Amino acid sequence: MANDVIKRNHVNIIGNGQQVMLFAHGFGCDQNAWKFIVDAFTDDYKVVLFDYTGSGNSDITQYDRIKYSTLDGYVQDLLEVYESLSLREVIFVGHSVSSMVGLLAANHYPDYFSKLIFIGPSPRYLNEGAYNGGFEKKDLEDLFDFMDSNYLGWSSALAPAIMGNADRPELGEFLTGSFCATDPDVARDFARVTFFSDNRADLAKSKVESLTLQCADDIIAPTIVGKYVHENTPGNEFVQLNAKGHCPHISEPEETIAAIKRYLLKN
Amino acid sequence: MDELSAYGHQEFLSSLIDVAELYNNAPCGYCSISPNGIILKINHTLLNWLGYREDELIGQKFSVLLSKGGQMHFEMFFLPLASVEHSVKEMSYEINRKDGSSHPVLLNASVKLDDHQRITAINTVLTDNSARRQYEKDLIRSRQMAESERKRLQFMADFIPEIIFTATAKGKIDYLNARFFEYFKCDIKIPGSAFILSQFHPEDLKMLLKTWQESINLGKDLQVEIRLKNFSGGYEWHLLKAAKFITEGGEIANWFGSCANINDHVNALKKKDEFIDIASHELKTPITSLKAILQLLDRVKADPGNRMIPSLIEKANKNLRKVNILVDDLLNASQLAQGHLQLNKVQVNLFELIGDCVHHIRMENNYEILTEGDKDATVVADEGRIEQVVTNFISNAIKYAPDSKKIRVKICRLATSIRTEVIDFGQGIAAEKIPFLFDRYYQVENKGVKYTGLGLGLFICSEIIKKHGGKIGAESIQGEGSTFWFELPIQ
Repeated sequence: MANDVIKRNHVNIIGNGQQVMLFAHGFGCDQNAWKFIVDAFTDDYKVVLFDYTGSGNSDITQYDRIKYSTLDGYVQDLLEVYESLSLREVIFVGHSVSSMVGLLAANHYPDYFSKLIFIGPSPRYLNEGAYNGGFEKKDLEDLFDFMDSNYLGWSSALAPAIMGNADRPELGEFLTGSFCATDPDVARDFARVTFFSDNRADLAKSKVESLTLQCADDIIAPTIVGKYVHENTPGNEFVQLNAKGHCPHISEPEETIAAIKRYLLKN
Repeated sequence: MDELSAYGHQEFLSSLIDVAELYNNAPCGYCSISPNGIILKINHTLLNWLGYREDELIGQKFSVLLSKGGQMHFEMFFLPLASVEHSVKEMSYEINRKDGSSHPVLLNASVKLDDHQRITAINTVLTDNSARRQYEKDLIRSRQMAESERKRLQFMADFIPEIIFTATAKGKIDYLNARFFEYFKCDIKIPGSAFILSQFHPEDLKMLLKTWQESINLGKDLQVEIRLKNFSGGYEWHLLKAAKFITEGGEIANWFGSCANINDHVNALKKKDEFIDIASHELKTPITSLKAILQLLDRVKADPGNRMIPSLIEKANKNLRKVNILVDDLLNASQLAQGHLQLNKVQVNLFELIGDCVHHIRMENNYEILTEGDKDATVVADEGRIEQVVTNFISNAIKYAPDSKKIRVKICRLATSIRTEVIDFGQGIAAEKIPFLFDRYYQVENKGVKYTGLGLGLFICSEIIKKHGGKIGAESIQGEGSTFWFELPIQ
């Protein structure tokens, strides 16, 4: 069972510390997204990286459309990674949708988590009544269209590798080394789960101390949404970054590292 | 060569290339953006496509050119990819012109790095993607259509009651519908040929493999009747058919096959054959006797006073009656099976009707027949037909329980019907045979002893009672006797 999960979710453990720090990638990416910041933590922490089933180098044959049709499927992935490594009191760092996956897991098993660090969290992307999530349904349909049309672009680049072109190994390398090389069908499912989920009611149930890292100019998770998370989650600290966009750990790794370290030192 | 060298002055060659001109009026759009997505530099081609002036876009976010969904995609895919991979290949976007219309482009990008390997700019190349985009849209639509068509066919394939399959041109089975997995209770996704072959009756296997190989070699459609194992381990007859599917090029692309359960049909045919055997045999006995009697009569015809003549005539009549009864039964049965039975219904007192029947039978046989029960029970029914049923029940009791000289007939009133029971004290009937007693052509076989008769009697009875809107049945305890009953509704 333990080995199955390690293989299924391509779990990697690096670093020299005792305290475990687990990084969970966001939608559309894989654990390579953390490559600019993990080195800053490996001296002091044991760092656990993984890919959700269907993403990156996970075992795609284990992908089950029904299981992963709600965030609970991904929560289960995360909890199984914890259980297979017997992890407790972990510092959890989740990007984007993984913030909510971590929150849901921590609501089930608070003692698995010592801190939750959310990067660009959103409990609800769709506008609803007085709640401003940033998106209308048609914006999301538009995104799904873009994903569909880029499916063809991707497959033209990936197809030779997928077909196992043994005489062109650089293509295989491109696939394994590639970031965002998620299977297009899985990516589309994941996008729907991510953008149609509503976890607002789960924020209040949190029993673990948490940090919200908010980017400037983030259209996916705007500041108003980050503030909402902060105000509705007990024990949440809010830090505004100068980094712009939705991926500060990629665009401004130093600032992101500093903000996380400052929070961990203080608490 | 001479001509080339005439042009070969370095000066002349450099005069051909105006870098600024190439940049600005290239057949594609160029746009350099900061790592955060701010537009730093843009060429004229792209400005022309978009209808903007240069100063309107410099310093703006590139994503203002995209729809909201496009912006999300750009933030979540394009920028991270450019940052992590340092290049982006052929991402498809629609960028908005100043007038609000959209322009499909393919976005390629590479990054510029400083000495510390930090990204200073992302250089993007935008190529016109209108034609390809349309083609892609069609492709996506075709893919969706193919998918929904596949689902529709899958539904149909799983819905029909037969097993269906496809096989490669060489005969390897590559698809089986849900019915196959249901019938064989098989949970292997793609069962191997060993599993499939083990499901055939060993006696049929050799013939099947030979015929199938012949079909594949000669491209001949296959049609064979074979026995397949059923879930309880027995075998059932199936009609296995396969037809070749030929491509436009005339090649066999694959085989489509079906396998229908024809067990009931095959068994019914077998029963019918057996019945014809029995019927011929039954008819032959009295006819042979008649022939012999006629030969005797022929011999003595010169002497009308011969003492043998009256007894020969009586014997002839008896045999003729037998033939007559058999032919009546045959006619009855075929009429009933076709639903041609006409009822002539009148008010009938069942007790009296049964009394009459019993009287006739008692006269001919040495039996004690006891009639008891409700003397006033009346129903609306065809007197002659009901008499036929009662007579049949009692004759059966005599035929199948010859050692017991006692038969009881009981009439009792139920809530909505009158029930008549004929009870014998013979050896009884095995429980597993009871459900088939009223089937056409069925005859109880007891310890290998076959009784004479066509086996049509109870079938005829059952049809008569059903036609009256009643019920018919039998119960039996082996060694103790049987009860045959029918119920007629009170109107």
